[in-house]
Amino acid sequence: MVAAFAAPFWRVAAAAAPFALAACIGAAVLAATGHDPLAVYRLMVEEAFGGQRRIAATLTAATPLLLTGLAAAIAFRAGIFNVGAEGCFYLGGLVAAVLGYVMASWPSMLLIPIALGAAAIVGGVWLIGPALARTRLGVDEVVTTLMLNFIAVDITSWLVNGPLLARGSANSATLPIAAGAELPRLLPPTTLHLGFVISLALVALFGLWERLTAAGLRSQMVGLNPRFSRAVGIDVPATLLSMMIASGLIGGLAGAIHVLGLVHRFVAGFSPGYGFTGIAIAVLGRNSAIGIAVGAVLFGALSSAGATIQLFSDVPIEIVEILQGAVMIFAVAKFGAGRRRGAAPA
Amino acid sequence: MIDLFLHAAMLMTTPILLTAIGGMVNRIGGLVNIGLESMMLAGALAAVEVSAATGSVAAALAAALAAGAILGLAMSLVVTRLSANEIIVGLGFNVAVAGLVRFLLKSAYGVSGTFNPPGVVMLARYDFPVVKEIPVFGAIVSGQDCLTWFAWFMVPITAFVLHRTRIGLRLRATGSAEATVRAVGLKPLNIRDASSVFAGAMAGLAGAHLSIGVVGLFNEGITGGRGFIALAAFYFGRGSPARTALGAALFGFFDVAQIRLQGRGIPAELVQTLPYIIVIVVLVGLGFADVGRSRGGVV
Amino acid sequence: MTEAAGVRIRVGARQLSRRFGPVVAVDRVDLVVAPGTIHAVVGGNGAGKSTLMRILQGVDRPDEGSVILNDAPVRLTGPADAFARGIGMVHQEFMLAPPLTLLENLILAHEPLGRGGLIDWRAARAEADRLAKIAGVAIDWRSRVSDAPVHVRQVLEILRLLYRGVDVLILDEPTAVLAPAQVTELIALMRRLKGEGRTILFISHKLDEVMRAADAITVMRAGRVVATTTPAETDKARLARAMVGEAVEPARIETRSRRTAAPLFAAKGLVARDPGGVQRLGPIDLEVHAGEIVGVAGVSGNGQDELVASAAGLRPIASGTIVFAGTPITNASTGRFRSAGIGYLSADRAEEGLCLVASIRDNFVAGREGEPPFSRRGFLRPAAIDDRAKSAMAKLSVRYRRLTDAARGLSGGNQQRVVIAREFDREPKLLVATQPTRGVDISGIAFIHQRIAEFRDREGAVLLISEEIDEILALSDRIIGLYGGIVVGELRRAEASVEKVGRMMLGQKAA
Repeated sequence: MVAAFAAPFWRVAAAAAPFALAACIGAAVLAATGHDPLAVYRLMVEEAFGGQRRIAATLTAATPLLLTGLAAAIAFRAGIFNVGAEGCFYLGGLVAAVLGYVMASWPSMLLIPIALGAAAIVGGVWLIGPALARTRLGVDEVVTTLMLNFIAVDITSWLVNGPLLARGSANSATLPIAAGAELPRLLPPTTLHLGFVISLALVALFGLWERLTAAGLRSQMVGLNPRFSRAVGIDVPATLLSMMIASGLIGGLAGAIHVLGLVHRFVAGFSPGYGFTGIAIAVLGRNSAIGIAVGAVLFGALSSAGATIQLFSDVPIEIVEILQGAVMIFAVAKFGAGRRRGAAPA
Repeated sequence: MIDLFLHAAMLMTTPILLTAIGGMVNRIGGLVNIGLESMMLAGALAAVEVSAATGSVAAALAAALAAGAILGLAMSLVVTRLSANEIIVGLGFNVAVAGLVRFLLKSAYGVSGTFNPPGVVMLARYDFPVVKEIPVFGAIVSGQDCLTWFAWFMVPITAFVLHRTRIGLRLRATGSAEATVRAVGLKPLNIRDASSVFAGAMAGLAGAHLSIGVVGLFNEGITGGRGFIALAAFYFGRGSPARTALGAALFGFFDVAQIRLQGRGIPAELVQTLPYIIVIVVLVGLGFADVGRSRGGVV
Repeated sequence: MTEAAGVRIRVGARQLSRRFGPVVAVDRVDLVVAPGTIHAVVGGNGAGKSTLMRILQGVDRPDEGSVILNDAPVRLTGPADAFARGIGMVHQEFMLAPPLTLLENLILAHEPLGRGGLIDWRAARAEADRLAKIAGVAIDWRSRVSDAPVHVRQVLEILRLLYRGVDVLILDEPTAVLAPAQVTELIALMRRLKGEGRTILFISHKLDEVMRAADAITVMRAGRVVATTTPAETDKARLARAMVGEAVEPARIETRSRRTAAPLFAAKGLVARDPGGVQRLGPIDLEVHAGEIVGVAGVSGNGQDELVASAAGLRPIASGTIVFAGTPITNASTGRFRSAGIGYLSADRAEEGLCLVASIRDNFVAGREGEPPFSRRGFLRPAAIDDRAKSAMAKLSVRYRRLTDAARGLSGGNQQRVVIAREFDREPKLLVATQPTRGVDISGIAFIHQRIAEFRDREGAVLLISEEIDEILALSDRIIGLYGGIVVGELRRAEASVEKVGRMMLGQKAA
């Protein structure tokens, strides 16, 4: 369905370049502080992919990124530059955590879908405002969704420090969710949980949706050329609105899965920027399902390897962040010509 | 009581004001700088390090300014020369620099999170003997440090430069009509990069104020999202130094207010959302005004 | 200012040629512009005027022949070089910074400096006022460009050239964006500048203004100079003929009009604004019947864009009503217009008619992707899409390799055929066709005209908007003249001629 943009080789090379460049920057930092970059990188690859247990850890780390990447991609593909997935992640996580202990007596079969569903809905509703501001008033969605992130983090922070604080808990956390709310583990004793399968399935579903459905084609056309789309009769505002809401739904779901599957409660600050990393994943993966999956696994590998190498070497875990940030920066750099929507200054 | 409150508010406003002015200039030049947080962080660390190492406040401020300026230039070049999306690059810088700072602290000093070297020289505060007795006014004017004075002086200076000098005129043209600027023979990308260097430098100084102006040490969370509050301030100010300063002061005021009001029923976190809500309100308001003007419809 | 008084040719060309591949844009052109005169270059689309001006301005370079300045051949190295020699151009798209004031735009990049390196605003203002006085206009220098109306911005562009010491001003279609009263002011301005010793070269296809303003006229057609004359020695009819070719009436498509009694499309009291909020059209009444082609003749800038946007449902109208097939659809969505049976051939093929980076197949099905037979229950049916697309492309003889190729790989003519194939496949009742053969070669034009006529024979209705008089005359059953946003006349096919249509386009009554 999609026109071939460039030969596959170049697309892969273009996607790999930011990683290569980031690796160079990381190597420079490591060398400057007395470490051997190659040794460190080799250790990281081993830690990420060496053996079943480690792969499971990598996939666990990739789980939230699959959906935050998807949330960003589904919006970007339609031409709407939503950076608010982080906020939806927080809101969704809190909603799922609260339902998880409030509805403790409910059976799993009902409790889990309800919690996930409610979290998704909250995420979706949260982004209606900026979506309408864009379609009715032409207000740039980048700044509005960026602001909403901080507002969401502050609101959940207030709730978890106040009304929803677990009694007797020193840090800002909710009560743990009921056992029936937990997503089952796939490979004990690793922490890999059903959420990984759900997230991967959703990404795959997106891949099918974008290729096989009329709505998928419509969304792509709007992203490529909204003026053309309007002229042929496509309802552009409705498409933008629905894609933005879908993006929020997925962002909320991502937070819920993270809570129900891994952390089992909501804690203030429980996302180390998953939403923003998701943006980088979507950009690197060119908004495609395969790209998102690969990107999520790579970033998950980075984060999981970083966590363990600091046990075996004196390399601080922050090397991961440095690499992540560098990849984000180079992911959007165009070495040559290209078209990309930037934020509009007034 | 009021006096202490106002004095604290002034103190809290300074870093936001410095960064907001820098960000405003950057935006006028055509770049929305989301990475100001990283430049503040770098400046804060540089100031503490150099202050402890040399015992000189001047050297510390120079180092902070340079650290921010270099990051500002780096970020700007990626955006202008590599046509990269400024939002993502800004976010990337925030993540990378935050990681780099913590990485360096661990590698070079073996500390995690807080860096408190001995011998840090703080910014001096200046009291004015008679003035400081005057209620309200005295609290605002007396007992402030040089960066606070500098920040407030920059408000009229920036306004002056923007409207009365060549560089100000060309900067305003660059942000709004890049093609035109090129057509008259100027180099818009260079102008834009220069505005980013200025923004980075100001943010660096803001970071220095946070570390050697207030707490006397460096902590990885020292910036506390102020880079984004400054963004809120310059969006609120929309290109006017006076309005931007008003926004910064407002947010500084809120910051102090929420600390004081804690335990009185108004949650701190909700007060913290105010700057962001105000930005959204301003943008939506402008959107309504635009639509009212032309009934052309938007896509 | 350059010392130009004694020369014969202040600026010109000698045997100038410029080719773009096989297309000869400018063909051995001689141009003589005397100093201190107003010289008009007229011609239709594709006559080569713009290319010639670009060469004179230093933006482009000739393949053969040379540019003449002050009687001597020169090679311009670029626009800065031309500027230094006193030549500057005002483009159709203004190069201004909207949030800055008029004065700031005037002096940008050449600001006068005073004490301490600050801008000397007083000197700037004095100079600005001086220029305004020369031009004989009153300017509010403190207002912003974004608040200034278009004709003021144009004057600013001209004054900016004067500020830079330009004495040969090239104006590209300066009156395209002006209302009649403003045109008069512009002509007066040009005369005052001429009185100052400056030379003005302007491109236009508005013969009315050319006759009023010019001292000398050069007519171009198909890249060649076909006539050099003065207003005293010619008249609009002769100019029009020179522009269009011999007064051979273009071949009419000989088929009968089968017009139904009741109108299919009826607009009453239609008033429409441009995206900037300025009223450009109306109030007008317009009817199109099934089985007829209504041609709207007029030079761009007279409300055509707004008429198109209103008829195709692209933008809401300011007031009035539109009734289609008996149902009011005033201000309905574009999708509603389309599903009611209104098809649209955009003049902007690259940005609106097609999505160039998408495949031919996607371009074909876009807008109908959710409808049967192209999808069922939300899922696309690729085989059905392909079949339909192939047969639609075949009907229009589109030459392509694969349906999955990107549309931008096709030639311009084939791209246009893809657009038409899509629109016809939707079996509209009314086709709003804008510049349907722009960028298409001769045989393609005939082919497309044939298809449109056949559509009309099948009781389709066509609203044809074109700048090509030939096209209007060849196809239309009824011709309407649009000038200044209102309908100035109507002609039946039998009574129409190049001259009459030309007069309507200039705002005069037809008869």
